[in-house]
Amino acid sequence: MLRTLALLAATAVATTVAATPALAEGDFSAGSEAKEWGLFGEEKARFTATVTDAVCALTGDCPEDCGAGARQMVLIRDADGAMIIAAKNTQPAFTGATVDLAPYCGQSVEVDGVMVGDPEITGQPTRIYMVQTVRAEGGEPAKTNRWTKEWRAAHPDAPKGPWFRNDPRVTALIGKEGYLGLGLETDAAFIEEWF
Amino acid sequence: MTRTALLAPLIGALALAAPPAQAEEGKRVQITGEVIDTWCYFSGVMGGPDAVVGSAHHTCALWCAAGGIPVGVLAEDGTVYMVVKWDGGADVTTSDTLLTVQSHLITADGVHFERDGVNYLLVEEVVADQGITNLTHEDYGPVPPFAIPDPNG
Repeated sequence: MLRTLALLAATAVATTVAATPALAEGDFSAGSEAKEWGLFGEEKARFTATVTDAVCALTGDCPEDCGAGARQMVLIRDADGAMIIAAKNTQPAFTGATVDLAPYCGQSVEVDGVMVGDPEITGQPTRIYMVQTVRAEGGEPAKTNRWTKEWRAAHPDAPKGPWFRNDPRVTALIGKEGYLGLGLETDAAFIEEWF
Repeated sequence: MTRTALLAPLIGALALAAPPAQAEEGKRVQITGEVIDTWCYFSGVMGGPDAVVGSAHHTCALWCAAGGIPVGVLAEDGTVYMVVKWDGGADVTTSDTLLTVQSHLITADGVHFERDGVNYLLVEEVVADQGITNLTHEDYGPVPPFAIPDPNG
């Protein structure tokens, strides 16, 4: 309940502050120390925001822990009230931002990262955010690199090597349907031809 | 000080402020489209949009979904819907059933919200699943190339 009220307040204040349309990312590039990845429509973006999960922001269903990493996370930007989906953390390892942002659930933070997405390529205005650092009020910026550490802690007996080669959920599906998802027979024929 | 007293200024501020975003209603929809990995689709990190869908990108889609990157539904009109609920539940990153439909062509009933250029889909029920129909590996091979380990080392 308290988290719902806090989010409502943040959203309401932001909405009041920002009667104008959402600002362009260029307006948030000042002071950014984000690393460049060379992605579609990439723009650095550093801003303050309230951390919450997408379902909470959309429907008001707000667990105190934002789902503890199981829900998709969003940032309600202070400057204009825009709802930014945090799709990626900073690790080059097929990892999202849920685990990194959930500990800041309901908090006001400063994030640094890059917005990506090019409407001319995808045919739609959607832009999504790679959050590279998070700084709580009064704290130091923390890199968003928790995902693989938490995966390793949850899978202490997994072989060495990239998590995605050893994740039991993934390996079970590939073992059943193949790398192409079309069945083991199709997979075998393709691999023989391709390699 | 009681909790009510602590909340009083907050409630007052809410009463004076513009209606919060939560007041906006979602719209009931039925969407048919391919289940995709949204990071690769929008970022171009693995190539253009046509290369990061279908069978070519299936293994990468599994990795990204298991890694907590938002799963999307690429509708027939080209719109991508971010899946933030699946089978009525919000714990999408730990959903095994969401993992099993990567790259599949599905029809989903749910609720749609649009916010700041992003389409969100709260899937209540998958009413049809046609499996993988987009055979992109025939044109692109595996995307990324290391998705399938080289059997020759």
